[in-house]
Amino acid sequence: MSRERLVDLSERWFRLLQRLYPPDFSDDMGTAVVETYRDRARDALKRGGVIRLAALWVRALVDSVRNGAGERARPAVLWRRGGHWGRDAELATRRLLRAPALVLAVVGTLGIGLGLFAVVYTVVQKVLIEPLPYKDPDDLYFVWRDYRAYFDLSRGWLGGTDVAELQKAGGVIEGASGLLRQLMTFSAREGADATEIAVMIASPNLFDVLGAQPALGRGFAKDEVGPKRPPVIVLTHELWNRVGGDRAILGTTVRLNGEPYTVIGVLPPKFGFVRNASLGPPQRADAYTTFNINLAETNPGQGSYAGLIRARRGTSPQAVASSVDAVGRLVDARDFKNKGLKLYPVGLKPDLVASIRPALVVLGFAGVLLVLVLMVNLASVLIARAAQREHEFAVSRALGANGAAVVRATLFEGGLLGLAGGVVATLAAIWGTRTLIALAPLDLPRREAVAVDWRIGATVIGLGVLLGLVAAITPATWAARATLSSLLANSAVRGGGGRGRLRRAMVVAQVTLSLVLLSTGGLVVRSFDRLLRADPGFQPEGLLTMRVPMPPQFIPKVEDALALQERVEQALRTIGGVTGVSATSTLPLTASASQNLVRIPGAPGNTGNADRDAPLADYMGTRAGYFEVMGMRLVEGRGFDRVRRDGVRDAVIDRNLARQFFPTGTALGAKIPFNNQIVTVVGVVDQARLYDVHQDGRPQLYVRAEDFGYRTLAFVVRTRRDAQALVPEARSAIRQIDPRLALADVRTMDDVVGDALRRQRISAVLISGFAVGALLLAAMGLFGIVSGSVTRRRHELALRLAVGADYGRLVRLVLGEGAALVVIGVLIGAPGIYIAGSLLRGVLVGVSPLDPLTLGGVAVSLGLVTMIACYLPARRVLRIDPAQSLRQE
Amino acid sequence: MGMDRERRGVDAPPLLRRVEFHILLSLASGERHGYGIILDIEARGETAVPDVGTMYRALSRMVERRLIEAASRRPAPDAADERRNYYRITEAGRRVARAEVRRLEALMRAARLGGLVTKAAK
Repeated sequence: MSRERLVDLSERWFRLLQRLYPPDFSDDMGTAVVETYRDRARDALKRGGVIRLAALWVRALVDSVRNGAGERARPAVLWRRGGHWGRDAELATRRLLRAPALVLAVVGTLGIGLGLFAVVYTVVQKVLIEPLPYKDPDDLYFVWRDYRAYFDLSRGWLGGTDVAELQKAGGVIEGASGLLRQLMTFSAREGADATEIAVMIASPNLFDVLGAQPALGRGFAKDEVGPKRPPVIVLTHELWNRVGGDRAILGTTVRLNGEPYTVIGVLPPKFGFVRNASLGPPQRADAYTTFNINLAETNPGQGSYAGLIRARRGTSPQAVASSVDAVGRLVDARDFKNKGLKLYPVGLKPDLVASIRPALVVLGFAGVLLVLVLMVNLASVLIARAAQREHEFAVSRALGANGAAVVRATLFEGGLLGLAGGVVATLAAIWGTRTLIALAPLDLPRREAVAVDWRIGATVIGLGVLLGLVAAITPATWAARATLSSLLANSAVRGGGGRGRLRRAMVVAQVTLSLVLLSTGGLVVRSFDRLLRADPGFQPEGLLTMRVPMPPQFIPKVEDALALQERVEQALRTIGGVTGVSATSTLPLTASASQNLVRIPGAPGNTGNADRDAPLADYMGTRAGYFEVMGMRLVEGRGFDRVRRDGVRDAVIDRNLARQFFPTGTALGAKIPFNNQIVTVVGVVDQARLYDVHQDGRPQLYVRAEDFGYRTLAFVVRTRRDAQALVPEARSAIRQIDPRLALADVRTMDDVVGDALRRQRISAVLISGFAVGALLLAAMGLFGIVSGSVTRRRHELALRLAVGADYGRLVRLVLGEGAALVVIGVLIGAPGIYIAGSLLRGVLVGVSPLDPLTLGGVAVSLGLVTMIACYLPARRVLRIDPAQSLRQE
Repeated sequence: MGMDRERRGVDAPPLLRRVEFHILLSLASGERHGYGIILDIEARGETAVPDVGTMYRALSRMVERRLIEAASRRPAPDAADERRNYYRITEAGRRVARAEVRRLEALMRAARLGGLVTKAAK
């Protein structure tokens, strides 16, 4: 073989090796590299023959692999260094500016979808998750008594002795504080208007345990507790503002239930402590003071305190639980003869989230679906764009543009669109949240705190970019494969082929996802509707309620309080339009009753099982006429007589209690030992539900308020007028009786019911928002498909028109295309509904997850909206002028 | 001012890679094509001769950084008179190379003062 021949052969090898380099490099340098290798090869042959040449071949291979890889990685390195960012951004921006419709579509889509997502995220975050503005909230626990060894109460208040024991425990328990919340009558100055406020009576270390300090003045000193403690009070920022917001308040004296207290501090505005309750929702307080008793000397049998402990930083919940359990065993042995009373801690956050978990799961699920719909939508828009630019891609590829560069450009475009969408979504969310708050369909707690903050904004923008990038992956890889030959092969049927199938599949996916979301939304809304219509056991319409505290400090004698109650009732009765007035110690749906074991010795329903025969019942005191004013249903017997007779102690029980003890006969006349007296059952009622609107709670026992000296009662006023309009008259009527009487919790019964349904209302509004958003997105997707199809098939449609098809038929043809996609989507989505339904089971009330009415309604509305989305672009068929179209082609 | 700029040239990254310094060294004495540079480095005999790919990646980077520039494409006498791409050093390239030399000199001085190298060893 001649030398020149070997050199030529080598050159072919070197040329082959050039493929290892990225095209832009070999375009630039390839020839020179090959030439230089050729020179080397010639030299090698001259100096060492074929062996030396072979060595050069190997060396060239190693060289090309190494440097080819290095050069390929170089754009990434340069990119990272920011070298091409500016240029790429500029090019992408310029390209996008030339396609305003696309930008509008994408940014609009993202704005709606992500904005909605952000609003929900904000509400969930601020209302449901975040009200824990304490230091290291994960180390805070409430401790509860498990009474199940005695009766059916697994979450009871602690005894003062338990709190004292927790304070002594040490180890991982760094601090423990007892808490008792009381409603008290407050006046800032002597003679000022009295208002009722919630006061948290606590151990002096409460603020240390929470890791909070007053913004003004000081907290409690260690020794400011016990029978001889100075009466000192710390106000919340809110209460301080209410009484004038003057710094000079420090050191002045305010009155609580008529007694003087010295103001020593004011808490910062963000101090939003809520004390979890044994039953019912967590509660706030307006002011803080300390115990005037020694907790260690209280009666262990009486559970009335919440126990808050702070664990040593980073202690595992198990370790905390075992320490608390050890304290519990000590207490059980010392105070309860080892009967099995237990103490256990519950973390603040788990406790808070546990009660809303079902709603959170559903919302999270809906959020994920919405984001999926968004992504599909975005991807289909970008694919449509890639389809339009197929020509451009193919030409630039043919001219030698790098495939990776095309991919990069497409990805960059996606990211840029996502960024813009994210920014718009954040703005939309800020605005949307404000609107939501202003319109207040949710009646949100902490509404002042509900706003989009920078973290949420960053999350949304980040999510937008991510969505843009992910959505751009498909069109990017697809664009990179576009070649001139593929374009030529396809040119007969522009836009046909694989990509059309992809877009269709995407619309099907959208329909599927929105069907699932819509049915979820439909079910939740319907369940909420059921709750609204649920019969809580009384008639809330036209009822006004208000509590009138009568603390012993300024009404020392019970008889005087009872007389005052009578005067209040009379005064309220004289207001025009009032048809009935009564009062109760516990309003329905407030979960605030006391409980006691009820035994009915000798009743036929007794089983001999001591636990079963002493059920734990809610008891409350009411005045005469209560059942009638509330509109409760009397099952048998009567309510309390207006006239009290000496020595007579009447009681009314609910149907559940009656059924347990008197399964066949009548409960009337039964004797129940209660509070060291014997009460006689005179009536049986259906429950006015205390906890949930839709289901009975514990059994109920009603006694006459006057018989047991209830001081503070909530009055209920039934009126033919608008209940809210009665407020000023009621206020002035009560003030005329005694100006020291405060009025608290003036609410219509409808509001009370609304408060009880607040959480469900939030879920329903948010989820239906999601569902409508998803439906809109799917409609936009369909609109795009059908309108694209009309554009693409213009030629074919024109041809059909030319050979005599009528317009109606063509519209039906195009519509049919969209309809087929919807039908496929619905068929695929059907199992999804089932899965979503099983997820919803815990949230739905009175609605089956497969409720035919709801699902039917969803199907109809989905069909309607999607058909409109198809019909609007399909009408463009009518504008096709066959002659003109065919001439253009 | 001039001093200043040069000092900045020394201190400011990126410093020259070894292959880049050799290329500047070879081009300092006149225009050369790729294989010519390799032969020159080989003749200097002080270092492992760079691979062709490595050298051309360096050439492409250095053109971007304006340390060298492409001269004409013309027949090369040392490559059977086939046409080759010639490169030439720019003023900036010369400055950077000089700065590198000064850095090496300073290192050399330091090595001697530290007793790492004796005068005789030179």
